Amino acid sequence: MRVLDNLKIDFVAKRKVAYIISGTLILLGLISIIFRGLELGIDFKGGTDIALKFDNPIDIGEIRSSLDNIGLGNIEVKTFGGESGILVRTELQAVPKNIYSDMVAAIENAIKEYHPGVEMSVSDSSSNSVIFKFADQTVIENISSQLFKNGYQTSRLDDNHLVVRVSLADWIEEALRTKMPGNHFVVQKEDHVGPKIGSELKQDSIIAVVLALIVIMIYLAFRFKFVFALGAVIALFHDVIITLGMFALLHGLIPALNLEISISVVAAFLTLVGYSINDTVVVFDRVRENIKIHKTADLADNINRAINQTMRRTLVTSLTTLFVVTVLLFFGGDVLRGFAFTLFFGIIIGTYSSIFVASPFVYEYVQKSKKRIQF
Amino acid sequence: MKQFRFRIIMILGVLALSIYLLYPTFADIQNENKIEQELAKYKETLIKSNPKISENTFNDMLQVKEDSIMIADPTIRENREKRMKLGLDLQGGMYLVMEVNTAKLLEKLVKNPDEDFKKYLQEAEEEAKVSDEEIVTLLAKKIQASGKRLSRYFGTLREDDADIIARLQEQEADAVTRAIEIISNRVNQYGVSEPNIQKQGARRIIVELPGIAKEEEAKRLLQGSALLEFKLVKESDFTIPIMNRIDEVLAKSLASEEDSLILSDTTSANDLTPEEFAIKHPFYSIAIINPQSPYADAFVKESDKSKVIAYLRRPEVQNVIPDNVEFLFSAKPFTNQDGENIYRLFLVNKEAELTGGVIVDANANIDPQTTEPIVTMQMNSEGAREWARITGSNIDKRCAIVLDHAVYSAPTIQGKIPNGSSRITGMADMNEAKLLQIVLKAGALPAPVDIIEERTVGPSLGQDSINQGFNSTMIGFFLVALFMIFYYKKSGVVADLALFFTVIIIMGVLAGFHATLTLPGIAGIILTIGMAVDANVLIYERIREELATGKTAKASVESGFANSYSAILDSNITTFFTGIILYQFGSGPVQGFALTLMIGIVASLFSAFVVTRLIFDMMVAGGNKINIG
Repeated sequence: MRVLDNLKIDFVAKRKVAYIISGTLILLGLISIIFRGLELGIDFKGGTDIALKFDNPIDIGEIRSSLDNIGLGNIEVKTFGGESGILVRTELQAVPKNIYSDMVAAIENAIKEYHPGVEMSVSDSSSNSVIFKFADQTVIENISSQLFKNGYQTSRLDDNHLVVRVSLADWIEEALRTKMPGNHFVVQKEDHVGPKIGSELKQDSIIAVVLALIVIMIYLAFRFKFVFALGAVIALFHDVIITLGMFALLHGLIPALNLEISISVVAAFLTLVGYSINDTVVVFDRVRENIKIHKTADLADNINRAINQTMRRTLVTSLTTLFVVTVLLFFGGDVLRGFAFTLFFGIIIGTYSSIFVASPFVYEYVQKSKKRIQF
Repeated sequence: MKQFRFRIIMILGVLALSIYLLYPTFADIQNENKIEQELAKYKETLIKSNPKISENTFNDMLQVKEDSIMIADPTIRENREKRMKLGLDLQGGMYLVMEVNTAKLLEKLVKNPDEDFKKYLQEAEEEAKVSDEEIVTLLAKKIQASGKRLSRYFGTLREDDADIIARLQEQEADAVTRAIEIISNRVNQYGVSEPNIQKQGARRIIVELPGIAKEEEAKRLLQGSALLEFKLVKESDFTIPIMNRIDEVLAKSLASEEDSLILSDTTSANDLTPEEFAIKHPFYSIAIINPQSPYADAFVKESDKSKVIAYLRRPEVQNVIPDNVEFLFSAKPFTNQDGENIYRLFLVNKEAELTGGVIVDANANIDPQTTEPIVTMQMNSEGAREWARITGSNIDKRCAIVLDHAVYSAPTIQGKIPNGSSRITGMADMNEAKLLQIVLKAGALPAPVDIIEERTVGPSLGQDSINQGFNSTMIGFFLVALFMIFYYKKSGVVADLALFFTVIIIMGVLAGFHATLTLPGIAGIILTIGMAVDANVLIYERIREELATGKTAKASVESGFANSYSAILDSNITTFFTGIILYQFGSGPVQGFALTLMIGIVASLFSAFVVTRLIFDMMVAGGNKINIG
C-alpha cells in the first residue's frame, strides 16, 4: 500500500502551532496535578487492598453503605473485574483497638455456634492474631476447618492452641458476609503495604525515571550532539508530564479505568520513555544523515526532509504498537488496565512529540546559538 | 544456495534450541492435566470406599497419590524443574517482605538500660524512617552526643566505641542469617513447593510461597520466636519394637481399607518381591533401617517423606506410639551414592530436657589439635546446672538439637559437662558447623522480624490472568500480523515470519534461563509484538526509498539494510537502557516485564537482521522482484 508518498510538509515552519498545543497540554497537566493531585495506590501510600469476587452481580452502593460504619473510617470501594468483583481499600495499617475486641468476640461466637459449650480461653493475642486455648484436644481440628471454611485464617499451633488471624481484611470480609448472606464470595487477592515500603518506592520511582532520562541523554550526546540529547530529553519530559497530567485530570471520573499510580504504572512510564525515545532517535538519525549528505542545505530543510522521510515508518510502528496496547486495555484484565492506559495515551503523545517537539527544539536552539551543526 | 547455508543453519539452530528449551514447559502443562484427571478419579474411589473420611486425611491421601504418580514417571519431575516458572501473580501464592527489627534487637542486647537509653532508641528509630543511616549508627551518635560511652550500654568497658558499633552491626547481620535459617527450616517442613527465600539488602528477607492458601498458617511459619530444644534420642531396643508395631498395624489397615487401590497402584513396575514387601511392610519399605548400625534411625527418601508423615499421622499408628515420645525428621537431608536426598527419622522424648533460652553463646571454630570443625556453646548458670545433671545421667546416649521440630544434630554425650561449656564435634565441614552455630543461637536470641509488605494472590485470579494474558497475546499477534500483510503485502508475510521468530526466541530464552513469567512479563511480550516490527518497518521503508531512486533489487536490498542499521541500533540501545533501569528499580513482576522487554529487543534485532535479511537475499538471488507493499 502506498500512502503519504513524497510527503513535503514544512514541519519546522508550523512549529509555533505545536508550541501552543504542547504548552496548553502541559499547562492543563500541571494545573490538574497541582489542584486535583494524583491518586496514589497502596504501593506508594501504604494500606490494605482486598479484591473479592461474588457469586452474583452486586450493587456497589449497597456494599459501600454496608462498609460505612464498621469502625474502620473511610473505606474505598471500586469495581474490579466485571460486575461481580470489587476492590476494597483502607489506608489503615492495623485493626483499631476498639474494633479488635469486637472481632475476637465475633470469632468466639462463631466457635460457640459450631461447638456449643466448648471450654476455651484466649491465651495470647498480638496485633494481628489471637490464640485460643481449648481444654478438649479433639475438637480443635474440627473448629479449625469450620472457621477456615467460613473465611477465617486459622492454624493449629499445637495440641491445645489455635491461632486465628485478626486483620483488617478479616473484619471487612466478616462485615460483608453478615450483611450480604445470600451472595457468597471468594478472596482474589489481598495486598498489604507498610508505610516505609511505600515511601521508599516513591523515592525509587522518581530516581528510576530521572536516571533513565540522564542515561539516555548521555548516550545521545555521545552518538549525536548535545543539542539532540537535550531535544530528546525535553520531548520525554513533555510526554511524561502530559501523561501524568492526564492521570490527574481523569482519575475518579471514569469508573472502568482504574487511574491510580501503582508500580506497574511507573513501569509503564519507563516503557513510554523507552518507546518515545525510540521514535525520536529514528528521526534524529535521519537528520544526521541528511546533514552529512546535504552539507550546504539549511537545517530547517534537513529536519523537514527527515521528518517527511520517516513519517510512514513513524505511523506504521505507532499503529502496530497502539493495536497491541488497545488489546491489553480491553482484554488484559483489571490488573494491567492502568499500565495499558499509560501506554495508550503515552504512545500518541510520544509520537506527536518526536515530530513536533524534539526536532523543532533542536532547530530553535541552533537558531539562537547561531552555530552550525556538522557530523 | 551455498552462500546462504551458514545463515540457514544458524537460524534453524536458534529455532531448534528455542523449541528444545520450551519443550519441558509444554510437556509439564500436559502432565499437569494428566495428573489432575487421575487425581479426580482417585477422589471418587476414595469417597466411595470411605464416605466418612476426615478432610485432613483426605488431603493427605491425595498428596500421597500425587507423589506416587510423580515418582512413577521421573520425567514428570524433570520437566517440572526445567519448565518456565510462573510468577506468584499467575499461579497464586504469597509474597512477603520482612525486615529484622533492629530496635527490638538492641533492646534485647542492651545491658542496664535506663530511661535515657529508651529515649535515644526511640529517637533513633524515628529518624531511621526518614534517614539513610542505620539505627545502630544513629543510636551510637545519640549516645556519644550526650557525652556517654557506648560501653555503658553494650559490650565491656575495655572496648572502644568503634569496636562496639562493629559488633552490634555484626549482631544485626547475624540476626538476618538466623531469621533466614529459621524461616527456611519451617517452610521446608511445611512442604511448600518451590519456596523462595532470599536476602535483600542488609536487613530484609523476601519470602515467596507459591500456592499457599492458608494465610495465617504461612505467616505463623515466618513469625514468632523459634523453639530450640534438647531432646534425648531413644535407643534402638526401645525404638525397633515400636517401628515393628507401626509396620504391622499399617499393613493390616492398608490391606483392609484400600486393597484394590494398592494392587492397581503397583502393577506397573518392578518384579514381585519388593512389591510384596511393600504390601507386607508398608512402613519399612520406605523408612529403611540399617541393621548394622547401633542406632535405630530410619532413612527416608525425600520423595517418600510426605508419605511417612501421612502414615505417622494415622490414628491407628498414633495408638501404638507411646505418649511420651515422638518421631522427628532431620532438618537437612544428606545425599547418598545414587544422588538421592535422604532424611533421618529419629524417635525422641516428647518432653525436652532443656530449651535454648539457657544458651548464652555459640561459636563455630576449627579445633587447633584435630583441625576438625567444632562448635562450642556456653550456658547460663541455671542451664549449666541442669545440663550437668542431664549429661551426667545420660552418658553414651544421644541428645538431639531440635529447632522448631526439626533435628539439626544428634551428638552423643561423652561425659558429664559440669560448667555448661560444651563442645560438639563430628561435623562434616565448616558449613555444617556454622549452621549449628546459627541454630544454637536461635534459641538464645530471637531475631525479631516485621512483615512490611505482603501480597497474596488467590488461585482464581491467577488463572484469570493467565487466560487474559494468553488471549491478549493471540489477538495482538494476529492484529499486527494482518496489518503488516495488508500494508506490505508479500513483504508483510516475511515480517510476520520474523515476528513469529521473535516470539519463539523470547519464550525459549525465558525458559532457558528458568526465568519467571509474570503478568507484566506477558504484557512485555505483547508490547514487544507491537514494537518488534519496527526494525522491519524501518528496513522496508528504506528499501522502498532505494527502489524509488531506480536502483536494482539487489542494490536496493543491500543499501536498504545498510542505511537502516544506525537508526535501528541507536533507537534500540536507548530503549534497552530503560529496560536495564527498569530491571534495577522493580521487584518480582516488574523485573519480569523488564526482562521480556530486553530479550524482545535482542530477539527482534536477530529476526530483522538475520531472518528477514536471509529471505530477502534469497528472493533477490532467485530473481524475484522485490515489492514493498
